[in-house]
Amino acid sequence: MMNKRTPIQSVILYALVFALVIFCVFPFLQILSTSLKHPIDWGNPSLIPRVLHLDAYKELLGLMPVKEVDVPASIQRLLDNPALSAEKKQMLLAKFSSGSDVFPFGRYMLNTFVISFVTGICSTFLASLAAYAIARLRFPAQSLMANGVLFVYMVGGVLLMVPLYQMSVNVGLASSAGGTIFSLFLIYLIQTLPVAMYMLGNYFRTIPFSLEEAAMMDGCSRVEAFWRIIMPLSKPMLFTVFIYCFVIAWNEYLFASVFLKQYQDFQTLPLALQTLFTSKNAIWDRIMAASMLTLLPVVICFMLANKHLSGGLTDGGVKG
Amino acid sequence: MSSVILRNVNKSYGNLPIVKNLNLEVKDGEFVVLVGPSGCGKSTTLRMVAGLEDITQGDIQIGQRAINDLPPHKRNIAMVFQNYALYPHMSVRENIVFGLKKSGADAETIKQKLADVSEMLKLDDYLDRKPADLSGGQRQRVAMGRALARDADVYLFDEPLSNLDAKLRHHMRSEIARIQHQYNMTAIYVTHDQIEAMTLGDRVVVMRDGIVEQVGTPMDIYLQPTNTFVATFIGSPAMNLFEATIDGDDLVFDQYRIPASKIANVDLHDLGSHDTVLVGIRPDFFEDSALSSPSDNLFEFNDIQVDLVENLGFDKEIMFKLGGEDAKARLDLRSHVKRQEHISLSVDLNRVLLFDTSPQGMLINAGEV
Repeated sequence: MMNKRTPIQSVILYALVFALVIFCVFPFLQILSTSLKHPIDWGNPSLIPRVLHLDAYKELLGLMPVKEVDVPASIQRLLDNPALSAEKKQMLLAKFSSGSDVFPFGRYMLNTFVISFVTGICSTFLASLAAYAIARLRFPAQSLMANGVLFVYMVGGVLLMVPLYQMSVNVGLASSAGGTIFSLFLIYLIQTLPVAMYMLGNYFRTIPFSLEEAAMMDGCSRVEAFWRIIMPLSKPMLFTVFIYCFVIAWNEYLFASVFLKQYQDFQTLPLALQTLFTSKNAIWDRIMAASMLTLLPVVICFMLANKHLSGGLTDGGVKG
Repeated sequence: MSSVILRNVNKSYGNLPIVKNLNLEVKDGEFVVLVGPSGCGKSTTLRMVAGLEDITQGDIQIGQRAINDLPPHKRNIAMVFQNYALYPHMSVRENIVFGLKKSGADAETIKQKLADVSEMLKLDDYLDRKPADLSGGQRQRVAMGRALARDADVYLFDEPLSNLDAKLRHHMRSEIARIQHQYNMTAIYVTHDQIEAMTLGDRVVVMRDGIVEQVGTPMDIYLQPTNTFVATFIGSPAMNLFEATIDGDDLVFDQYRIPASKIANVDLHDLGSHDTVLVGIRPDFFEDSALSSPSDNLFEFNDIQVDLVENLGFDKEIMFKLGGEDAKARLDLRSHVKRQEHISLSVDLNRVLLFDTSPQGMLINAGEV
């Protein structure tokens, strides 16, 4: 029987919960607040900006109007000279329109999205096959394999960073941008597979084996039973695992910082944010807006995962 | 439809034998029920036929096909599972036609079969529901429908009614019997419920510890059980067994002397080779002496003290002591015996069975049913 709380107990409980929530959410509020402040407002300790300033977001998302290039009159005269080739003119103009303060946020976001999405899809697919094998099939050294995979997860990334980079150099992958991204993708796959397998394996075990047996009696091979019964029934968990892998790859910094150092164009968001943080003139609203935009997909992912986690797809299939 | 033949089938897990040297032929269109206590190997036998368990040794044949090495999906067998095993993500309609579609049936056949099955099992109103939205009985009917929609060689039932309440179980039992006869299905049905075994089976296979104890029609099993295990397992309440010594031509226990010569199929010479025998009398074969019509072959147990009376409506079960053992008799409503009363019970000696006292307790007076 549950004890009913007194009003004082309730107040204390809610106050504690509220404090905990604020403690967790405060850094995010700070990011949001700063990203919306005008530079003159940066010193203001209040979380609420005096004026709503969306320029940082507009700039990052490429919504700012293109600046007219300010060219001195002498140079303008040179440019007006029809004898000068178009190529030369372009070179001259470039000297006056430095792109050094343009942060290609969209490009980084696309890089990150592509690698995270591919990692999520591949990891979920491979994990589902492996998890099924470990959960359902009997083969020699089965438990050794199941535990061995988890062992990979226990080894810290820092320990493997140098040897893995060395390996990718040795096999020639690190010598091209494509190869480097492929090695990074493989590393993300290895990083996410153990937990993905663990999550899916545990989920598969909750699906009664008799459903597969019924499918086999209905004319399905084992593989068909897997695709037609197990996979549709595991949708919520597959989605959750995908989100997990996606977010891990989305936020990964350590390996990206080593592998993508020399390939500026292919850098991912965590790496780019780091560059933004350490640049000489820290433009706080832009840094915070970039952080906010980086966070956004993660938050959306978790909200979606939460919705799908209610699960219960296998209800009613077998007598409980 | 096809026959099923199991030849010297063995199944063991490591060194633990589960099914021992099982031989059985299920004829085309026959309904065979495997019955036995938990762990007797009946479900394992069924699953070996289905292909869901490997056979350690022996052969299984469906029609002219040896199916030992065929995977389940190539055996053309339909099965109803104990826990229904409906596909939770599919509607009732999809569940029923799943196997048909898989077998490549054309749209018209699928439509026709679905209509037949849903009408037969009264599932018309539920076709678009998911299994989670159905009651236990409805789910059971869908599971039946899924199997029946298939044009399978053999239909297997693994305790399909054990999760239903008594009333529904009775109803579904009749339905299964009706459908099986209507479609002349070859069916193997596993149950631990002896009433299902008796009412459904053309033949009943009684199993214990992986061994077939007896195969026969329900009445064979009831009236001529080959040993004390079958005698006590089939029939409710269980058959009473009294140990009697042999004194000349009489079987003696307590103050009673039963003339062995009046018991059916007794070879007195053979009986002489035993010191003691077990006398088996089914509770149903006792009669209240006050109500029985006199006959030469009736034996009367006098002065029986009734310990307990359980009224079941038409019948009543009475408990008493006989030969130092607890015994039961089932009398009809004409009898008005009361607790602690002393009564006489009669039994037709043609119905009395004798078993030897070996551990197997084999039937001595076997004969025609």
